[in-house]
Amino acid sequence: MRQENMRRIISVASLFLMMMVFGLTSSSFFSMNNMMSILRECSINGIIAIGVAFVIITAGIDLSTGAIVGFTSMMCANLLYYYQLPATLIFVIAIAIGTFCGVLNGYVVTRLRVPAFIATLSTQYLFRSLVFAFAIREGGVITNKKITDPGVLIMGGSIDGIYLVTIAFVVLAIVGQIILKKTKLGTYIYATGSNQKSAELSGINAGKVKWIVFIITGFLCGIAAIFEIGRIGSVTTDLGTGLEFEVIAAVVIGGCAFSGGRGDIFGTFIGAIFMAVLQNGILKYNLPTAAQLVIKGIVIVVMIIFDSVYNNIMQKRILQKARELDEAAQAEEVA
Amino acid sequence: MKKKFLALAMMGIMAVTMMTGCGAVQTDSQVAASASDSTAEAVEAAAGKDFYTEDIKIAFLPNVIGDSCAAAWADGMKAYLDTFSNVTFDVYDGEASVDTEVQIMDELINQSYDAIILQATDAAGLAASVDKAEAAGIPVITCNLDADTTHTALVAGVDTEAGEAMANSIGESLGGEGKVVIISATPGATKGENIDAGFKAVLSEKYPNIEILDEQSGEWLTENANTVMNDFLTKYPEIDAVMCHNDAMAEGAAEAVKAAGRLEQVQIWGCDGESKMLDYIEEGLCTGTIYTNCQSQGASCAQMAVFAIESGITAKNLTSTPVVKMAPVIVTKDNLSDITEDMRW
Repeated sequence: MRQENMRRIISVASLFLMMMVFGLTSSSFFSMNNMMSILRECSINGIIAIGVAFVIITAGIDLSTGAIVGFTSMMCANLLYYYQLPATLIFVIAIAIGTFCGVLNGYVVTRLRVPAFIATLSTQYLFRSLVFAFAIREGGVITNKKITDPGVLIMGGSIDGIYLVTIAFVVLAIVGQIILKKTKLGTYIYATGSNQKSAELSGINAGKVKWIVFIITGFLCGIAAIFEIGRIGSVTTDLGTGLEFEVIAAVVIGGCAFSGGRGDIFGTFIGAIFMAVLQNGILKYNLPTAAQLVIKGIVIVVMIIFDSVYNNIMQKRILQKARELDEAAQAEEVA
Repeated sequence: MKKKFLALAMMGIMAVTMMTGCGAVQTDSQVAASASDSTAEAVEAAAGKDFYTEDIKIAFLPNVIGDSCAAAWADGMKAYLDTFSNVTFDVYDGEASVDTEVQIMDELINQSYDAIILQATDAAGLAASVDKAEAAGIPVITCNLDADTTHTALVAGVDTEAGEAMANSIGESLGGEGKVVIISATPGATKGENIDAGFKAVLSEKYPNIEILDEQSGEWLTENANTVMNDFLTKYPEIDAVMCHNDAMAEGAAEAVKAAGRLEQVQIWGCDGESKMLDYIEEGLCTGTIYTNCQSQGASCAQMAVFAIESGITAKNLTSTPVVKMAPVIVTKDNLSDITEDMRW
């Protein structure tokens, strides 16, 4: 437990260090508007990252999140344009569609036994093609219609400068952390990710757990889509493209290991903010695009290397301690 | 346990919707509107900034930076703005994503740029951001791709007109009869859709006997267009013309036609007028393109920005967006020499 807290302190400290660097070199970084912008930018990715963290903790991966957001958003735009459905109904439908996509992902991974990487890569193509299928057309030509429903647009709004999406992100992150740490499902998720076989032997239905985490991710993608269309006020066919990688980067920076069984939502929360601060800070330097991408890449790699080195050291320390205890016990026995 | 999760999730949603319901929530446009109300006095006499002595920051945010058009625009802007030592000019990458452009627009507003030149990836999607900038007193000049709201100016290249011009040229040279294939942009891309609309409108109106055999997306890319064209050539024994939504794809198509040995029978048209395409036309690989002088378009954008900064004119002073259109130039082998070396990009 102490080790976990230590890891948290380090990730928060590295976030603050980076913020100090940006803050000292740019006059506009610590302005209220900019802070709120950063929190807004991290929130949509962050909401999805909560679900993806669950998936990665079970040693899975979800590459279809961007396409789910795109598909869900396009369906909302379509229903708003052709049927003028009320906003609340649109939200319910968005969440239902997202959740359904998650169910499909889970089905392919657990029932058809396709590895998560390939399964979600395929469904990514499927969902993206559905975006085109449901795109709004005029005379056969795809057109992007402005969404005018105030009930939908309000989701991109703010209360005294704090964006709704940020509030939702914080609430969902707290809920996610509680599920992971305080419920049986959380324990099952860790157990499945650490060692699926032994989890199954101890009576956990690992397939079901994996299915549930995909459903949670789909559900969160549905919620993210609501905020996305609220903010942008229109849906293009490429909405959400590449989003999955930003999300995965946030989750991994937050301390979740691809091998499974490690990480939590607190870390993911910090990871999402970290990505947004990095993006925002880099823009302040007016560097050429190539340089921006290089810096972004290097920072992410350094963070991940640090995480894995740190974990190796900690792992060794735990083993060492276990050995010492073992030896002490043996010595006692001999005595 | 599932119930527990559901209950927690519902609580979260309820909390958010409750806050939405309480009426204190304001969208960006509302925030922008109330901000511009408070500066209402400024409307009466738009007060500008002295462009030639004060420190000025201008940003250019194209759809995607790696594109030859965007590079030429940026060149044109830079060449003009670099003559003023007090002006800083920065280019940002929209990464061909509405989401990224919206984020960067927020960033530019926070950094209080004096003017923003924007190539809006999606007209509707960028509307709120443009409103926000204009309300903050930052004039937005859109370059080529419009934003769906009143703003300081639009410097438009040709898209619909380019499609019409290609249809006319192809229609005339084929004598109003023949078979055409289209290699189109990424589905949903505004420029591609507009070229398509212009092209098809003229064909159906003036040349009803020209048949469109097939239309496939080459996603703006040379390699993909090459594959698509190979496919067309094997599928259709008779093709009289290929219309591509940009030059890069026309070049890919030309290589495929050349490999099939059918250059004599097939006309190949592109749109943009980049220098590589002009070389292809010179070598007889492609038939023609619709040329836009992108450097001069970039310089026009920069000059519109100067005008807006000097005058202090923003959307508040306008009822609709003023449009400056670039001239569409049909370039074939016959008039290739009109495009002199310094006009190529």
